[in-house]
Amino acid sequence: MTHATVPRPRETPARRVSVFLSTHPRARLGLLLSAPLFWLGIVYIVALVLLLVTAFWSVDSFTGEITQEWTLDNIVTVITGSLYQTVTLRTLGVALAVTLIDVALALPIAFFMAKVATPRMQRILVIAVLTPLWASYLVKAYAWRSVLSQDGILEWLLAPFGGSTPGYGLPATIITLSYLWLPYVILPIYAGLERVPDSLLEASSDLGGRTWPTLRLVVFPLVLPAIIAGTIFSFALSLGDYITVNIVGGANQMLGNLVYTNVGAANNLPLASAIALIPIVIIFGYLFLVRRTGALDNL
Amino acid sequence: MKRTTHTARRGATVGLAIASIAMLTACGTTSGGGSDGGEAATELGEMEGQVSLLAWPGYVEDGSNDPAVDWVTPFEEDTGCEVTTKTFGTSDEALNLMKTGDYDVVSASGDASLRLVAAGDVAPVNTDLIPNYENIYPFLKDQAWNSVDGVAYGVPHGYGANLLMYNTEVFPTAPTSWDVVFDGSSEYAGQVTAYDSPIYIADAAVYLMAHNPELGIENPYSLDEEQLAAAVDLLKQQRENIGEYWSDYLKEIQAFTTGDTVVGTSWQVIENVLESEGVATDVVLPEEGTTGWSDTWMIASESKNPNCAYAWLDYIASPEANAAATSYFGEAPSSDEACEYREDCEAYHAGDADYASQIWYWSTPIEKCLDGRTDVQCTDYAAWTEAWQEIKG
Amino acid sequence: MTETQPAIRLTALTKEFGAVTAVDHVDLEIAAGEFFSMLGPSGSGKTTVLRLIAGFEQPSGGTVELFGQDVTKRAPFDRDVNTVFQDYALFPHMSVLDNVAYGLRVRGLGRKERNERALRALASVRLEQMAGRKPSQLSGGQRQRVALARATVVQPKVLLLDEPLGALDLKLREQMQVELKQIQRELGITFIFVTHDQEEALTLSDRIAVFNDGRIEQLGTPAELYERPRSRFVADFVGTSNLFDADRSRTILGREGHHSVRPEKMTVTRDGLRQQGVVDVPGTVVEAIYLGSGVRLVVDLDDGTRVTVLEQNDRGRQHDDERGDRVVVSWHDDDVVPLGIEVLPGISG
Repeated sequence: MTHATVPRPRETPARRVSVFLSTHPRARLGLLLSAPLFWLGIVYIVALVLLLVTAFWSVDSFTGEITQEWTLDNIVTVITGSLYQTVTLRTLGVALAVTLIDVALALPIAFFMAKVATPRMQRILVIAVLTPLWASYLVKAYAWRSVLSQDGILEWLLAPFGGSTPGYGLPATIITLSYLWLPYVILPIYAGLERVPDSLLEASSDLGGRTWPTLRLVVFPLVLPAIIAGTIFSFALSLGDYITVNIVGGANQMLGNLVYTNVGAANNLPLASAIALIPIVIIFGYLFLVRRTGALDNL
Repeated sequence: MKRTTHTARRGATVGLAIASIAMLTACGTTSGGGSDGGEAATELGEMEGQVSLLAWPGYVEDGSNDPAVDWVTPFEEDTGCEVTTKTFGTSDEALNLMKTGDYDVVSASGDASLRLVAAGDVAPVNTDLIPNYENIYPFLKDQAWNSVDGVAYGVPHGYGANLLMYNTEVFPTAPTSWDVVFDGSSEYAGQVTAYDSPIYIADAAVYLMAHNPELGIENPYSLDEEQLAAAVDLLKQQRENIGEYWSDYLKEIQAFTTGDTVVGTSWQVIENVLESEGVATDVVLPEEGTTGWSDTWMIASESKNPNCAYAWLDYIASPEANAAATSYFGEAPSSDEACEYREDCEAYHAGDADYASQIWYWSTPIEKCLDGRTDVQCTDYAAWTEAWQEIKG
Repeated sequence: MTETQPAIRLTALTKEFGAVTAVDHVDLEIAAGEFFSMLGPSGSGKTTVLRLIAGFEQPSGGTVELFGQDVTKRAPFDRDVNTVFQDYALFPHMSVLDNVAYGLRVRGLGRKERNERALRALASVRLEQMAGRKPSQLSGGQRQRVALARATVVQPKVLLLDEPLGALDLKLREQMQVELKQIQRELGITFIFVTHDQEEALTLSDRIAVFNDGRIEQLGTPAELYERPRSRFVADFVGTSNLFDADRSRTILGREGHHSVRPEKMTVTRDGLRQQGVVDVPGTVVEAIYLGSGVRLVVDLDDGTRVTVLEQNDRGRQHDDERGDRVVVSWHDDDVVPLGIEVLPGISG
């Protein structure tokens, strides 16, 4: 017998804490979560609530100080003002277009990565998809400003074929946003496809399913939640963007610009808050719609 | 972004009084803040070793943009105050940034200065503590945009005009009127630019003063509802032909370089950069006159480094530093002494009252009409902001 | 189908994965209606052969013929074979009925007809009442039967089964073995069954191919493989064997070459009596394992050779601990199986 030669663990305070925690799961959970929950509560929830509350205040136009008297004026302005309706529709249109383009681009890329490429190629592609995320958002947006300009590379490429750069405007905004958010759409779809066992594709093929029926009846329904998860990224990020449209959007503005102008230039935080509620409401509506698909489990 | 009340030039007392009253009234109606920013310092103490500046781009250069352009380092060496700088693109941005309380000193244009005073964000300045104050042009001192009731709130820095920039390949002969960006802008559809701020409405008003006298606009910062509507109509019509608005001067430089923009409002400093890069552009002061700015260095009411702040105000008013800064930005300096360090004072018409009369310095539009009318209410900056968003659509 | 043609004919079939040769020039014919098993340890190439027949892999060389037709280049959906996958590969988002009807759906059958036929197929595996459920709501055995119904509803000429019972517990596995055999008889089609379980292969198959290292080691009926293994590998993999290398064959058996004797062919006597017409060798019991139906005795013969003997439990035990007992191990000369002339690396019991 050798157990007598093994020294017993020493009774240190750290050990007593460990013993206490291992026998008190609730205390363990509390200790683990209190810091992040505190952070989430203060920084996120409180900020959001303040935003909501601010929307019901007004601002003194000369000094720029906020007047804390309850008023529905901002909400009414935002709902009835034709400016806000126009800009909301434009923003929605851009977000939808960006989302459609990104999904159309991401599906084949993600499928190739998950189901066709060799493991080595797969790793290279994942890195390739992630690489643009290492570069600053602004750098990428300004790169597109340069690409899309009248003497940019796009003009140079398209001119021989009688085409021309779309110049700065909404098409440029859609192109640039599609580029910016593409990795965020590819990755969840790729992850979703990874989770589809190869044997399911083989089973479909084995049972007589050619490529298209296999994609339509087996692959698509299984990755739909992942696709929706991807669209939540591209849609929400597009809905809130104001920098890209400022850089390549020409004279156009989106909801984010209205918020930015009202916070920055106009110094009207209450109105900005009211405008900021528009994309929040839209996103919540979208999340509510897709909740059933299980897409939220993929986020 | 600057506008000195033009009225002030012709009837300084009247303008000053009106502005002051308006401001005091505003203070009275504000529930929260609104104070006079406290008392001016009476004497200076030890340097704190650092100072944080909020400034227009090109006002505070430490050689990091261009090694040859550096008037911050000598200041740091003399005073031991280490300078940190944050630049802003519009007066509104400056106003907002000042509310954070992170800055000791701000270079405020006329459309920001009074609002800063009213909000209590800046303190009165004891000019006795600033030796270089003495040499500054008298017509820049104690003006509506830098003092209240005879109490100085800052030190004048420099002044200049918003100019019409054009691509010399598209315009072989220089345009003489703002017409090319307003009634005649359709010819350059998609390649016209304009300054992205509600204060740009005043540019339209200046144009209307010359072309639609029946509107009776006397001061582009003093528009009643009808006059504002006319300016908005003009700007909406212009919007059709705008390629993009600018507030970031680097963005404008790039747009003119690539040819995406060929005509629009600009600053002398932008032309200086474009010229140095060999881009075919030039600027002109059109016959209608123009808007412009007269800037003031102000000290935050809650400055943590007041001694370094005073040191900066004195330093930047010194002839050599003032000459360097205003020359780099492309505006007239604040004193004749500064002109001794510049060879281009002529070009900026420094001290030239006639030239200055063509410039409507940026000022904050308020309900009390700045042009002296008492029978109507004028539109305030909030109304302009709303109108501007509507114009952009 | 042409009756004279074999259901499957593989000719010099080879598959290389990089430097590894998974299948090495395999020639094989499988008759129509046969229950054929491919048996071997993992990595022996049996599953790869199955996937080559199904069309999931393209061979590096050789051909696959299906009833005389070369299908080597055809896609899986163009081959009249169907597969029951090891993990069943049921579509998780479809109901059981839709899973079974899938093959009919992609062939363009109308909803009504395909559902009727799918229900009949489900009835044949006694799962019609589960038609509306999702695969995740079924037990392992039920999923197994759904996979079977899904593969057979399209009436393939050959059904490939890739370790279909591997994930089931012992009781269910034995039950499913019986069912599989019944279904194969009813459908009358060729089953090709991949397994690493020699007992399962012996139970089910008409013929078995034993795979080792990408090649077929031996091909034959279960009885042939068991009674007359031709190599040490087969003797060892199919059932357990007492192996005698050339030296020990000479000294113990008095024969030239390598030989094996099945444990159940050996008997043990404890009274020291020797029997007529048999080989008998004295030894010492080193381990006795009670199996219920019998006892497995490990005996060290006096020359050091270790053998395993399977004794029927047809008598009372002498005493609980037989270790150290002196015994005589004996077997009939007829039960000694020659293993060819391959060189054995060592002896094993």
